Amino acid sequence: MAESEEEVDVLVQRVVKDITNAFKRNPNIDEIGVIPCPEARCNRSPIVLVENKLGVESWCVKFLLPYVHNKLLLYRQRKHWLDREALVDITCTLLLLNPDFTTAWNVRKELLQCGVLNPEKDLYLGQLALTKFPKSPETWIHRRWVLQQILDQFLAVSHNKTQEQQGEAEQPNADSSRQLSDHLTRTLHQEMRVCSDAACRYPSNYNAWSHRIWVLQHMAKGNGKVFHDELSSMRLWVSMHVSDHSGFHYRQFLLKELITEHYQTSASATINGSSQHWSSTLPSSGPHQHSCSQTNGELSGAEAANEDDRQLSFTTVLQLFQQEIELCSDLIQSFPGHETLWSHRRHVFYLLNQWRREHQCSSRGDNNSIHLNDCDPGMSEVSPQSYAGREESVNGQNHASEPMELDRVSLPNPHDSKRLKRGVLLPGTPTLTSEHSFVNSILDSCCNPEQRRFAVAYKKWLDTVIGLQS
Amino acid sequence: VKLLIFSLRTFTKKSTKIDSLLLDKHGDYIAAYGSKKDDYEYTLSEYLRMSGIYWGLTVMDLMSQLPRMNRQEIIDFIKACQHDCGGISASIGHDPHLLYTLSAVQILCLYDSVDALDVDRVVEYVKGLQQEDGSFAGDKWGEIDTRFSFCAVATLALLGKMDTINVDKAVEFVLSCMNFDGGFGCRPGSESHAGQIYCCTGFLSLTGQLHQLNADLLGWWLCERQLPSGGLNGRPEKLPDVCYSWWVLASLKIIGRIHWIDKAKLRMFILACQDEETGGFADRPGDMVDPFHTLFGVAGLSLLGDEQIKAVNPVLCMPEDVLQRIGLQPDLLS
Repeated sequence: MAESEEEVDVLVQRVVKDITNAFKRNPNIDEIGVIPCPEARCNRSPIVLVENKLGVESWCVKFLLPYVHNKLLLYRQRKHWLDREALVDITCTLLLLNPDFTTAWNVRKELLQCGVLNPEKDLYLGQLALTKFPKSPETWIHRRWVLQQILDQFLAVSHNKTQEQQGEAEQPNADSSRQLSDHLTRTLHQEMRVCSDAACRYPSNYNAWSHRIWVLQHMAKGNGKVFHDELSSMRLWVSMHVSDHSGFHYRQFLLKELITEHYQTSASATINGSSQHWSSTLPSSGPHQHSCSQTNGELSGAEAANEDDRQLSFTTVLQLFQQEIELCSDLIQSFPGHETLWSHRRHVFYLLNQWRREHQCSSRGDNNSIHLNDCDPGMSEVSPQSYAGREESVNGQNHASEPMELDRVSLPNPHDSKRLKRGVLLPGTPTLTSEHSFVNSILDSCCNPEQRRFAVAYKKWLDTVIGLQS
Repeated sequence: VKLLIFSLRTFTKKSTKIDSLLLDKHGDYIAAYGSKKDDYEYTLSEYLRMSGIYWGLTVMDLMSQLPRMNRQEIIDFIKACQHDCGGISASIGHDPHLLYTLSAVQILCLYDSVDALDVDRVVEYVKGLQQEDGSFAGDKWGEIDTRFSFCAVATLALLGKMDTINVDKAVEFVLSCMNFDGGFGCRPGSESHAGQIYCCTGFLSLTGQLHQLNADLLGWWLCERQLPSGGLNGRPEKLPDVCYSWWVLASLKIIGRIHWIDKAKLRMFILACQDEETGGFADRPGDMVDPFHTLFGVAGLSLLGDEQIKAVNPVLCMPEDVLQRIGLQPDLLS
């Protein structure tokens, strides 16, 4: 049955209002969905609110969406005025139905900029949209913009505080500093939850996981504890999602960040290179965290790294790698035939290998040392050729890349030999040899054809990428 | 239970696998697409309309059926989508963005009508999106992604204006997104993904920096995308999808390792993604078709050497003869 234009108009206005009222009635709505319902039931609203779930009956969507869509565009082209409240309601309705409609998110950005909306509202709206559209690229993109606004506000406030402190005699104002950093911490953990939910709703959700990485890169810089905690909290999840390549990549990212952080703590013992002074106000307790700075950039005495701390850090990182390889081995054996697990093994072993070699080389100030790719831009330049077919030169002698044995390397610095001793002789540290043993044991015991295929590919990878090309 | 489900499927689906290219059907599908402009589905996808038009026109041109489309209407539409800042939006009234700026320029190149735009303003728009670290934002709101690096250089290359940006810095940023496996993600530290790899290899081709790649390593990652079905996926353990037949295949072509793929099996997979009744290609056999997958299915077949289709350029996903007319021949590794 055809609806006249006025009828549609009236209907849609009512529906938009019903949605707005639903949120007012229940600020804890946590999921949206479309209810399959081909026909309207005499005058009842198509908006259904049950517990914390908001549903829209499907019959009205084909009227609702084009109408609010076109209304917004008329506004955008200055052909039709909408007041701020109407804009908020219309964009909300639109984005719950079609969260990839970039322009609608942009309208909300403008509302945010002039103070009509607060950022939390858009984080909430985005969260809801993601319950139905867990991949929605535009929702994640908008989310990053909102978070950046929050971060900028925080930076502005702490900078003002710094200036106040420097201007006046005392007034450390620890309380409000604490409040701000607590807020940031809550926001960070909230983001982790949103990413987790979206990851559960769609397998190998690239957008959710790359967002998660972005959040840590921007909101937890240099905060080893966060990376450490994430690594432990995700262990169970990935064990239950052994095909989720993005989930495992996230662990690779965490490990790499922990290595980088280890370098910065051991290399910058007395210099605080961090210009993101706010990051240090995030809670960062932990045995290996020692480059906390105060907001005015000074180091307190207790934080200067010493040799023991560096050793602890080295051992901790090594242990993390071992645990990761062990986890990988367990999963490979428990769930034969998953390419993701073998891919993860490549990444982890590669990282471990690079880190050990770089640790040796950089401790001697070797200009030819291999640098980690794609890490913090503040570090060495990218050298994409470095890992395949490049000859290693230690002390002027060419080495095959068997595990570095101490008696073949003469080290000028006793500190370094002590460090290396601890590193290489730690029982259970994966080596090229042990990796080959692992693959062979799989090939010997397993008949799953996929598993064999991946094991053979891994062997080939060990020979080609890790080993030297002749 | 498994047996029952299997027999139900063969009962309801066509039992013959499609093994020939149904070019006329695809032409009919694209020509008729969007003719009912009030369609709910059509509204849902309006936010990417300019790219949708580019997909449709490009596949029609590859199938030598471009004249069936409405040239003037489309050119007028594009004119109405250029904003004061120089950027172009997906549709009238939408906000401008690099993605749709590229699509618009690609369309106008197909039609040899780039002068429909204020080219200088387009160039200013693109240039203004480059950041200090060499990366490109997608629009004024600042999202960074290697896709946008590709969009920027592709747009400028088609307009002959690459010298207006800081190419060295742009290259530096893209290389900072290279991962140990030879692949690329959307930002530094991101997971390697076939779509991003395509954008980055295309970018490096256009900027003359393909030698910075480790072609063997990347080629290996790419050819591991081929599954027993013959289809290609975008990352380990993902399902095959016809659009990856483009992203992966074009990347392999650019780095000179297309022979590392089993071409015959891939061709069979792509052909199986056709819909005999409606025309068009779906992401995988049996699913709903759309213009996006139709373009990449046909373009993939062209790269594999199908002579019924015009040659397609692997960097820009446009007919080679169009690029020859412009005088743009991006580098390829051999």
